[in-house]
Amino acid sequence: MTDVNKLQSDLDYIRGAIGEDATAGGIPALYFLWAALIAVGFSLPDLAPRFAGAYWLFAGTGGGLFSWWLGARESRRHGYNNAQLGRRYGLHWCLVGAAFLLCFLPLVLGRVTPEMGGANFLLVTGIAYSLAGVHLERPLLWCGVPMLIAYGVLVVFMPPHIWTITGISVGAALCWAGFSRRAALNADHTP
Amino acid sequence: MKALTALDPLLEHRIRLGTCVLLAKHGELSFARLKSQLHATDGNLGAQLRKLEERGYLLSTKDFVERKPTTWYRLSDEGLAALESHMTALRALIDATGVGAGEP
Repeated sequence: MTDVNKLQSDLDYIRGAIGEDATAGGIPALYFLWAALIAVGFSLPDLAPRFAGAYWLFAGTGGGLFSWWLGARESRRHGYNNAQLGRRYGLHWCLVGAAFLLCFLPLVLGRVTPEMGGANFLLVTGIAYSLAGVHLERPLLWCGVPMLIAYGVLVVFMPPHIWTITGISVGAALCWAGFSRRAALNADHTP
Repeated sequence: MKALTALDPLLEHRIRLGTCVLLAKHGELSFARLKSQLHATDGNLGAQLRKLEERGYLLSTKDFVERKPTTWYRLSDEGLAALESHMTALRALIDATGVGAGEP
């Protein structure tokens, strides 16, 4: 005979087990890596434009592959092997990569000024990180939102060195996410 | 009550049900991860996993993670179907008893 109170207690236990989901949240090292890559890469068009293309070819591809490898390694090390989630990550960041490539189109065609083109990257980055925060890793939401605010500020005031400001805004937001994620992980491991 | 007879006796144990729910959510988990997330002992978890495996609800594979032998578990199609049917029966039972009524 099944006891409804026992069932209720079992469901509470299972809810607790699922609530301790260690997969929520990302890897701080990756946040810091991309903060550095983006801050440098977005500053190049202002400071050394001829190196920007080559930098993104190697740093973008290498960073993406390294992120995939580190994510898979961390996941296995923590006892998770979620192929479906991996596909979602892959699809999200591939679409972001495609959106970045499309951002070059109005610049190449001369439809927007270089300043507006730079700001558009911040808009795409802000949306990409905010949506990653909604669907994949919560800390990314809180660095996507300041990027969107920074985009609004850039468009309204159009300051000089807009690419550098864009890169530093994204880098600072990612560092913030990295530090807050690391603090959360340390708090989880503190007895 | 019809919902009671529709419950799968194998999934009435909280560790076996918890294992299936976690695997349905995450795809594949290691023994160590299941143990820590379900707050189970090695012996108890091992025994419950064996029962699920014998019934064909679970599939296991072994490999090495950083030179440590690791056993991975995932739900079979049969296990997923059994879990879905059990959860439907549980929901019907809870609805019938009115537990949780009025909650958002």
